[in-house]
Amino acid sequence: MSGTAIKVLYFAQVAELTGLRQETWPIDTPLSGSEWLAQLAARYPQLEPVQRLKLAVNQYHVGLDAAIQPGDEVAVFEPVTGG
Amino acid sequence: MVIVQQADFDAAELTRQLRERAAGKSGAMVTFTGYVRDYAPDQPTQTLFLEHYPGMCEREIQAICDTAQTRWETHEPVVVHRHGELHSAEQIVFVAVASAHRGNAFKACEYIIDALKTRAPFWKRETLADGKQFWVQQYDADAQKTNLWNSAIPGNPSS
Repeated sequence: MSGTAIKVLYFAQVAELTGLRQETWPIDTPLSGSEWLAQLAARYPQLEPVQRLKLAVNQYHVGLDAAIQPGDEVAVFEPVTGG
Repeated sequence: MVIVQQADFDAAELTRQLRERAAGKSGAMVTFTGYVRDYAPDQPTQTLFLEHYPGMCEREIQAICDTAQTRWETHEPVVVHRHGELHSAEQIVFVAVASAHRGNAFKACEYIIDALKTRAPFWKRETLADGKQFWVQQYDADAQKTNLWNSAIPGNPSS
């Protein structure tokens, strides 16, 4: 994956709702987390309300204001339940 | 030391090894073991499946341990966290912290397990005896506890 797409990972409930574990998502310019979540909701309306979902970019937890750049690994999931 | 694995672990052996590594420097050790219990009020848990994010799991848990080690001046903490399908009463997670004094060891251990609840990328799916499945929701109380740790004054481990 070069500079024209992100690698998206889906976990747990989100993976069940999209029916996918991962996919390549074309983006040509940097986006904020909330801008990308809006794209996600448009493609998978079953994920609504997406504001509850959490994001990790390149394996770090980030807020919805975080920048997503082409080439990033973006994970989307429900709040975690570790421990 | 951070280990994320499917296999069970030997809590006594992990405790013995940390005791050996921290010998002489640590006057206290606190350990925590988490087990699969019944989550639903009215039905026993058949199995608990833990999905995880490989790579991020290990990195995030290591970051939690590094914070605890610095903040409470502990020996390098030990965390073992399992993933995959677990049965009722099986071990899920182990945390061990050794420090010069008990206060710091208790606080660091509690901080680590609280942070695992809200930061370690695991998702628990429960299967009840009748076959019904559901994903466990993050408790508000866990998120609030994490916020409390974050708002406590850094650099003041005795607070």
